[in-house]
Amino acid sequence: MPDKHEIIQVPNVLKSKVTYGPDGVDVEALERAEAVIANLRSSYLIWVQEDLIKINACYEQALALPVEARGPSIKAVFGIAHDIKGQGGSFGFQLMTILGNQLCRFTENRTLFGDAELEVIRLHIAAMRMVIGELIEGEGGAAGEDLLRGLQAVIAKLDKVSSAV
Amino acid sequence: MDGYNLERLNFLVVDDNKHMRALVTTVLHALGARNVVEAADGADAYRELREFSADIIVCDWNMAPLDGLDFVRLVRTGRDSPNPFAAIIMLTGHTEMHRVLEARDAGVHEFLAKPISAKALYSRIRAIIERPRAFIRTASYFGPDRRRRQIDFKGLDRRRAAVAPSDAGDSALDFIDDGADPISLTQAEINALLNG
Repeated sequence: MPDKHEIIQVPNVLKSKVTYGPDGVDVEALERAEAVIANLRSSYLIWVQEDLIKINACYEQALALPVEARGPSIKAVFGIAHDIKGQGGSFGFQLMTILGNQLCRFTENRTLFGDAELEVIRLHIAAMRMVIGELIEGEGGAAGEDLLRGLQAVIAKLDKVSSAV
Repeated sequence: MDGYNLERLNFLVVDDNKHMRALVTTVLHALGARNVVEAADGADAYRELREFSADIIVCDWNMAPLDGLDFVRLVRTGRDSPNPFAAIIMLTGHTEMHRVLEARDAGVHEFLAKPISAKALYSRIRAIIERPRAFIRTASYFGPDRRRRQIDFKGLDRRRAAVAPSDAGDSALDFIDDGADPISLTQAEINALLNG
């Protein structure tokens, strides 16, 4: 049975505060705005380097801990990978978004992080460092595809071993 | 070519990542916005709302200690909420259906998948300006009408007869969000919501 409901018609304040005309956001304004993002590229390269240092530190922290104590470090890895994923594509580094996403998916639903799982994390961090170090833009073309295929093969192998146990 | 002038709109940008805040603010300025305030977390943002009458809130999901969803719920249903009707665009790296439904059911107006572009952000702002929605209050929900006319639902059709447009607003309802749940969406519909 549906909930009892109330409909509230809210006055459209926004429309009363905007004008529509030649001084508004047109195609050229959008292109200028995209160019502004592109101009932030050099700043992005500094931010992401800082993120890569932090994520590597979290990985090394996890590596130094016994398996049962690695949870918080892995959660931190997820958080930074999530940020990397959310930014890369805005600045022309779509491969960073893809790698960040893949690392997020890998760390998100697992409960156990043994040395094999940490190796997968290390490989993803190494891949992201390479993308930024070599300024591999977009999805990286054939090299990017090979990189992703390799990482996915490592994950698949790990999953196969885990399910066989 | 014509477009909307955003100079008089008040924007509140909420994200615990300072780089993301800077990016969104930069884009808003480039789109002509003049009044942009930033907040580093949900609690900070809620305090800002008392002093700053935000027309549109652009809010990240992944924040701590108060995450984006909890912030949205607070804006919508907090007893002392300064503006429960504020338009909210949620920035999210989450694309799974259950997450999108969760955000929708918390009361967001629009989603924007990260990584963002200027065009995508503007399309969400434009949607809010051009397609205002009535608010619905039920025992379990308070927020903009969750039924979006432009999406063809494949789920169970619980829609009922039209309500005549009110003089108070520009929107007309073809159907009523009666709080009946769940309203399932296909992955294509989720993608449309996230990516425009």
